[in-house]
Amino acid sequence: MLEAMSLAILIGAGLITVSVFTSVAAFRIGAPLLLVFLGIGLLAGEDGPGGIPFDDAPTAYFVGSLALAIILFDSGFHTRIGTIRAAAGPAVVLATLGVLLTALFVGAAAHVIMGIGWLEGFLLGAIVGSTDAAAVFFLLRVGGITIRERVRSTLEVESGSNDPMAIFLTVAVLELIVDGASLEALTWGLGQAFVEQMGIGLLAGVVGGFSIVLIVNRLNLEQGLYPIVVMSLALCLFSATLKLGGSGFLAAYVAGLVAGNRRLRAAAQLRRFQNGMTWLCQIGMFLILGLLATPSQFPAIAPEAIGVALFLILLGRPLAVWLCLLPFGFSRHETAFIAYVGLRGAVSILLAIFPILAGLGLAQTFFDTAFIIVLVSLLVQGWGIRPLARWLGLIVPPRVGPVDRIELELPGRGNHELVAYRVVADCPVLKGARIPRWARPSLIVRGGQSMGLHKAGRMQANDLVFIFIAPERVRLLDRLFASPKELESSDQEFYGTFALQPSAAMGDVAHAYGFEAKPGDENTPLAEVLQRELGGQVEVGDRVFYVRVEFIVRRIEGDVIAEVGLAIEPGPAELPIFPTWRDLRATLRRLLRLRPQKSKRKGTPPLAETYERARKATAAEVDDTGPQRLPTVGRGSDEP
Amino acid sequence: MPEIAQVLSPGDVRLRVEATSKRHLISEIAATSARTFGLDQAAVVTALTERERLGSTGVGHGVALPHARLPGVSRLLGLFWHLATPIEFDAIDDEPVDLVFVLLVPDDAETMHLKTLAKIARRLRDRELRNRLRQFEDPKAAWRALVGDPSVEAAA
Repeated sequence: MLEAMSLAILIGAGLITVSVFTSVAAFRIGAPLLLVFLGIGLLAGEDGPGGIPFDDAPTAYFVGSLALAIILFDSGFHTRIGTIRAAAGPAVVLATLGVLLTALFVGAAAHVIMGIGWLEGFLLGAIVGSTDAAAVFFLLRVGGITIRERVRSTLEVESGSNDPMAIFLTVAVLELIVDGASLEALTWGLGQAFVEQMGIGLLAGVVGGFSIVLIVNRLNLEQGLYPIVVMSLALCLFSATLKLGGSGFLAAYVAGLVAGNRRLRAAAQLRRFQNGMTWLCQIGMFLILGLLATPSQFPAIAPEAIGVALFLILLGRPLAVWLCLLPFGFSRHETAFIAYVGLRGAVSILLAIFPILAGLGLAQTFFDTAFIIVLVSLLVQGWGIRPLARWLGLIVPPRVGPVDRIELELPGRGNHELVAYRVVADCPVLKGARIPRWARPSLIVRGGQSMGLHKAGRMQANDLVFIFIAPERVRLLDRLFASPKELESSDQEFYGTFALQPSAAMGDVAHAYGFEAKPGDENTPLAEVLQRELGGQVEVGDRVFYVRVEFIVRRIEGDVIAEVGLAIEPGPAELPIFPTWRDLRATLRRLLRLRPQKSKRKGTPPLAETYERARKATAAEVDDTGPQRLPTVGRGSDEP
Repeated sequence: MPEIAQVLSPGDVRLRVEATSKRHLISEIAATSARTFGLDQAAVVTALTERERLGSTGVGHGVALPHARLPGVSRLLGLFWHLATPIEFDAIDDEPVDLVFVLLVPDDAETMHLKTLAKIARRLRDRELRNRLRQFEDPKAAWRALVGDPSVEAAA
């Protein structure tokens, strides 16, 4: 007995250790980390050199669900309310309708490719319906690149919140298959169950989140106990919601969201602890799912599974994403990127255990297929994210260089934080930039000696400066302590060659560049015109074609455009796919404009003539309404 | 699209120009364009100043590209000056400016000149070229480097 226990611990802890060590290498080569964990699980399993015979689906399901609840609570905890605000609409549609559409599309494809029934196909679609929060979060942040905010927020919130929908769909369809219900009952029953589960989950999440905040802030505990109490409360909430017939996973995510955005005692400590817990859960979940799989069975179904996976990546997800995002005014590039970053992960494999537990005949096929789909998705989509983001022009070039900053947590409840900056050579503070009044420098450490401000005098390079500051203003200070950042030529492409005053009248700009401002815009400030053309939501890097030139939002202060760029070179070329709502409307208008012309004539005009007229109408449309793109610079005569 | 060589003639390159301020520079530019292109000096000052008021044409790395549309200009006219001492120009990167490429554009040119402007801007993004332009003693050599035709440059 004792020997078996020590062996089990050795295997478990050993695998986790190996996974952690491997992650170092994975970070370096940018490989999808989760793929590595999954791979280690596979290698340790029955068909790998590890040879551990593990086929205990209920245990894997139990561990996986527990881990997923913790991961979802944590991903909510780390999501800022600002992120939600920037992306709530599109993300929620993607997380609900998007999952449903993906499941339907993939279901149809599975029906055709694998020759299984419609319902079974739909079940497979639901199993792989959601994107993986861990994979998406990790890949969007790897290498310190900054993806444009609205796109990043949408992807993060979507991936954090779409698991409950996939779980719901899977369970619902599985019940239908097992109970053999009819299709009418399906739609009605589904709708009712959806409202019930999500409603209870949401409510429980909100109430639970506020309760957690209340309890933690009231309780005087040993420091180390705060993370434990939060985690156990979250799990209590999860299971209680399940008992009440709601979606426990949604409750966990929402509770995390609420708790993470309230002022919470020991928040920094909580964050660190949960960060570690999430890693442990990720590793554990992937390891155990890798162990559970029997890769020797894969070859039999591999071609079909890969076919479904490719369909999901190339058609299913993009189509669903495009349809969901149409009303939200995303550009073609943004839609393309969101469509691409649809990584599947542990949840899909976890859901694939459901059919096994339900004793479905095809269960093993479902599990293996889902497993292969996840592998293909991590491989194909995981590797390409960075180059794609760069190619689509969605990476925001940093305006400041790296900053050396340490944040320290203070006891007590005041709204302040202590940050320490390392003063680097040539940073603005050394060049005479003043530290704003809302930041209070209080201590300088120079050459191992701490001294007050008066004794230290002027700051010097390599000083460590301790500053009291309200937490929400920390980012504003960074600029002062950042090492100088060279302008790069790619930055000019992103921000435009010239900077224009946001207060400049559009009429004056139009006059300088020889075009007419739109009627009524003559005296309107540039910033206001851009704000209007962008429809409220403004983000650095947003581009607006205006009559003949292209303006770019260079800097935003608060909610106001503080600097405008004038692009004299065209931005990245428009993609031929994912037409926006605006494009579709223009096409529709064009088609409608053609019709009355046709009806004036008697009889059918020759085909060639119709075509010619359509072409002219198209040209006219582009000329009078559509702002024209500048042709590429340096083509033609530039060639030697 | 006009090449830089078609916009800028060798005689319009000047090195070690003395200018004390942005305003002074603009009036010098106007005086020179009045002399060489026969333009109205006051109109050039007004046009360039008005364009600068919309936002500085300093594009960073010590480069400025003052430009304006003007009546009475029949084709794209360029001037390139290297200033003896860099001056404050409110440039994007707050660096003082010492490489100035002026582009005066016909009134009816619409946005065609933007392509030429883009070409000039892109040419001056080349760090090595900027450094060389600051070293030249001979305006003709600077012109050849700026125009960037390797055959012309090699032949000289």
